[in-house]
Amino acid sequence: MALTDTAPRVRVENLRIAFPRPDAAPLEVLSGISLDVADGEFVAVVGPSGSGKSTILRAICGLLKPAGGRVSVDGRPVTTPPPEVGFMFQKDALLPWCTVAENIRVGAELGGVARAEHAGRVSALIRLLRLDGFEDAFPKQLSGGMRQRASLGRLLAYNPSLMLMDEPFGALDYQTKIVMGRELLRIWEAERRAIIFVTHDIEEAVALADRVVVFSARPARIVADYAVDLPRPRDLRAMRGEAAFVRLTEAIWSDLALPA
Amino acid sequence: MSDSATARAPAGNAGPAQGAAAWRTGAAQAGLILVLLALWEIAARTVLNPFWSSRPSLIAERIWRLALSGELWVHCSITLQEAGAGLLLGAAAGVPLGIALARAPRTAKVVEPVVMGLYGLPRVALAPLFILWFGIGLMSKIMMAFTMVVFIFMLNVMEGIRTIDPDHLDLMRSMRAGRFYLARKVLLPAVTPWILASFRIGVGLALIGAVVGELIGANRGLGWYVEKSGGQLDTTGVFTGLVVLMILAMLANQLIGFVERRTIRWR
Ligand SMILES: Nc1ncnc2c1ncn2[C@@H]1O[C@H](COP(=O)(O)OP(=O)(O)OP(=O)(O)O)[C@@H](O)[C@H]1O
Ligand SMILES: [Mg+2]
Repeated sequence: MALTDTAPRVRVENLRIAFPRPDAAPLEVLSGISLDVADGEFVAVVGPSGSGKSTILRAICGLLKPAGGRVSVDGRPVTTPPPEVGFMFQKDALLPWCTVAENIRVGAELGGVARAEHAGRVSALIRLLRLDGFEDAFPKQLSGGMRQRASLGRLLAYNPSLMLMDEPFGALDYQTKIVMGRELLRIWEAERRAIIFVTHDIEEAVALADRVVVFSARPARIVADYAVDLPRPRDLRAMRGEAAFVRLTEAIWSDLALPA
Repeated sequence: MSDSATARAPAGNAGPAQGAAAWRTGAAQAGLILVLLALWEIAARTVLNPFWSSRPSLIAERIWRLALSGELWVHCSITLQEAGAGLLLGAAAGVPLGIALARAPRTAKVVEPVVMGLYGLPRVALAPLFILWFGIGLMSKIMMAFTMVVFIFMLNVMEGIRTIDPDHLDLMRSMRAGRFYLARKVLLPAVTPWILASFRIGVGLALIGAVVGELIGANRGLGWYVEKSGGQLDTTGVFTGLVVLMILAMLANQLIGFVERRTIRWR
C-alpha cells in the first residue's frame, strides 16, 4: 500500500452501489469498497469483467449515486462531477456529428483553455496521438483504435489533474499500446496528475502504474493492492523481461484465480 | 456541424463512382416515369375512354396553357404558400413542444392520451370547421396544413431526444458542460436529422391539408382548380391539378434531401 503523506486526491470509503432490477433484488455491484488515491499517484485497477471497475469510476466522477458509503475528491464529498476530474469512458463516446478535431476541441472548450489556444492544443494532440490526416474525419470513418485515441485526445485536451481512464488502450494493438503508454507516462511524469487506470491487461497495469489494485468478481472486494516498485522512467518494452516485473504479474494472475 | 467551415469529409476516391451511380439511378427514375406516361397515353388512345382518364398529352398541353396565361403560377403559389406556412408553423410549434415534453417526462405522460387522441383524429375532417372559423382565405388552409404536421414534428423530436446516447450526456456532465453548451453540442445535432425527417414527411401532409381546405372552400389554389374542373366534368383539369401537386411534392422532397445531405454529412 502506498504511503500517503499528503491528503488523498480521492477517498472512497465503504462505497456501496446497487442497480435496481425490475423483477429481483437490486444488483449489488460494489458492497463496501474503500480506496485512497494520493496526489500524483498512478493507480491501475484490474479485475474480472463485470466486477464493477467502470462502476467505481462513475461513482468517483459523480455520475452515480452511492447506495451507501462516501466518495470524496480533494476533500469534498462528490455529489456532482467535481472540477479537475476527467473521465475517459470505456466506450469512446465520441460525438458522431463532430469531426475528430471538433471532438478533441470539446475537451479544450470545457477545460477552460483560452479560446486562442484551442486550435494549437487540438493540432498538437492530433499529432501526439498519430491521428494526422484524420482531423476532419467523422467518428464513423475511424477504426476502433483511432476512435479510442480521439477519445483520449479529448481527455488530454480537457487537461484534468485527476484522470479516470476506463480501459483507454483496450482497442489498440500491442505496438500502439506501448507508444500511447509511453506518451501517457511522459505527460503524467511532467505534470504529476493522479490517474486511475482500469485495464484488463495485467502487464500493462504493472508496466504503467505505481500501484495495482485487484478487484474480485462481483460484488467487488479489493483482493490485493500491490505497490509497483519498479524504477522510473520505465522502458515499457524491456521491463517485461525483468524478474520483479514477472513476479508481480504472476502474483496478480494468481489473485485473479485464472487457470494457467 | 458547429465549426462547419473547417469540417469537410475527406475526399474519398469513391467520389466519381458514386457520381456515376447517382446518374444511373436518376436516369432509371426518369425512364420509369416516361414508361408509365407512355403506357397511360397508349391506353387512353386504345382501351380507355379519355373522357374518364384524360391523356398525358392533353395534360401537358393544359399545363402549358395555364403557364402561358399565368394561372398556373397563381394556383401553385397560393397552395405552396398555404402548405409552406403551415409546415413552418408546425415546425415552429412542434419542435419546442417536443423538446419540452421530452425533458418533462411526467408532463408528457399526462398529456400523452390527449396528444395521441388528436394525432389519431382524421384531421382532414376539420376542414369544414376551419373554413367556418378562419374563412375561405389563406388562414383556414394554413391551419389545416399546420394541424396535419405539428404532431409529426413533436413526436419525432421527442423520439430523437429519447434516442440520445446517455453516454454523451454523462460525458458532458463529467466535464461540467453548461446547459447551452449541451444544447449546442448534443441536443440540437441529435435532433436535427429527426427534424429534417419531419420536414420530409410533413411536405406531403401539409399539401394534403392545404388542398383539402381548398376543396372545401376557396377561390384559388390547385385544390380549388381540381374541385372546379371536377364540377365541370373536366377530367383533364382534375389530372392537371393532381400532376402539378405531385411535381411540387417531388421538388420539395428533392430540396429537403439536398438540405439533409448538406447538414448531416456525419451519418
Ligand atoms: N447502468 C446500469 N444499470 C444496471 N446494471 C449495471 C449498470 N451499469 C453496470 N451494471 C452492472 O454492474 C456490473 C458491473 O459493471 P461494470 O461496468 O462496472 O463492470 P466492469 O468491471 O467495468 O466490467 P468490464 O471489465 O467488462 O468493463 C455488471 O454486472 C453490470 O451488469
Ligand atoms: Mg468496464
